[in-house]
Amino acid sequence: MSEQQVYEPRIVAFLCKWCSSAGSDLAGVSRIQYPPNATPITVPCTGAISPMYIMSAFNKGADGVLVSGCHIGDCHYIEGNFLARRKMKLIMELIEFIGVEPNRFRMSWVSAAEGAKFAQVITDFVDDLKPLGPQDKLKKAELT
Amino acid sequence: MINIQDIRDTARDMLAKGEVRAVIGYRRGSRGMLAEPAFITDPEQANELVWDPTCFHNLSLYLVHDRKFLAHIRKNPNAPVAIVAKGCDARSIVVLLQEHYFKREDVYIIGVSCEGTGVVDERKLAPHLNGFQASNAAFDGDDFVFTTAEGEKRLPAREVMADRCLECRIPFPKEHNAVFGEDKTGRQLEAPFAALTRFEAQEAGARWDFWSHHFDRCIRCFACRSVCPMCYCDECVVDSITFPVTHETTAEEKANRIRWIERSATRSENITYLMTRAMHLAGRCTDCSECERACPVNIPLRLLNNKMEREAREQFGFEPGASIGGQSLVASFLDKDPGDFIR
Repeated sequence: MSEQQVYEPRIVAFLCKWCSSAGSDLAGVSRIQYPPNATPITVPCTGAISPMYIMSAFNKGADGVLVSGCHIGDCHYIEGNFLARRKMKLIMELIEFIGVEPNRFRMSWVSAAEGAKFAQVITDFVDDLKPLGPQDKLKKAELT
Repeated sequence: MINIQDIRDTARDMLAKGEVRAVIGYRRGSRGMLAEPAFITDPEQANELVWDPTCFHNLSLYLVHDRKFLAHIRKNPNAPVAIVAKGCDARSIVVLLQEHYFKREDVYIIGVSCEGTGVVDERKLAPHLNGFQASNAAFDGDDFVFTTAEGEKRLPAREVMADRCLECRIPFPKEHNAVFGEDKTGRQLEAPFAALTRFEAQEAGARWDFWSHHFDRCIRCFACRSVCPMCYCDECVVDSITFPVTHETTAEEKANRIRWIERSATRSENITYLMTRAMHLAGRCTDCSECERACPVNIPLRLLNNKMEREAREQFGFEPGASIGGQSLVASFLDKDPGDFIR
């Protein structure tokens, strides 16, 4: 990276197929401007996200990981986001425990109607990630 | 005080009557004072059983091995296996039962209470023995008595006990068929999670320095996984080689196979491995500390597992190994689970 280039954090966003993914589509078709830093990965449900996916994303060079799903009570599979809430809380605590900045992981509830909220979540996340700089703690050495 | 003869008699009677197929217990090992796991099928061998401060192994691991062996030879157990279990071991068995790994009637739990003490930590003991090797260890009230070439050495148990025993909340096997020793639950030698709390008081930078140092040192020998009764999966996510490879598997297929965690012992892979392991043990680890003891490079794995245990306890009110009928941590939820971290 040359010195003139501004650091742009890379975000891996795990989006629930039923809510957040549709929410990001809505943000797109509504022409809402938000940073292009997030790479969306659509998953069937936030409950299907293994904490290992998050570790793996960091391992493969993500500067931040976002998990976004349906609001509590709105899960297509009734209880998937309740289960996700527990697992994500645990992995968040664990990441913080080993001394990685807690701001690198974020979870949000974005419904299919909340395009503006999705844009806001990404914007906030990018703003929070920029001062942290590149994530090199959990990243594979050969990728640096 | 536990009279070892009681345990031996129980084991001998049950084996003689054919009530159990085998007794898994401890016997005198070949290396110094250390006990070793004993697998007894002959009633006459029951006299080999011992109970002393070096019985730190979590024997429930061998119930898992037994279950795997029976599945391999396609046999159903014809009688239960008896197992000598401390408080933490009995909780491990409860977690295995909770996960329906085997049936309650397939195991006969001979509970032993750790009473006022626990098991010894070799690393803590070493400086006390003036370079000598202990040949024997025994409980005596709140003390441990070690026999060395210098003679008998009496040490307060608190000084040489394993951290997990100092912090143990329930040094008594609640789930048991027979039990020896007094229930001294609530003895509280040290506050629960004391070592964890001390560690967490540090800054994030210091925590990272500590962990990156330890993660660098992991040699990926998988001793922690091998010694853990909870790591019973037939295919571990770390072993990409265990996915079936036939003569028809093309090189491209092999190359494109997802390898979540590489086997190379580099820091990033070690972190992913050890963190994934900690997550997989969340709500299942009963703090028997065998992983930390087995680790050849002394990575403080107990801190990671303790962290998960405390979060489960404080955030979700979850206690691993509390009851057989209970639900597992990550397969259940409560409406009041914390959600304020979610935007």
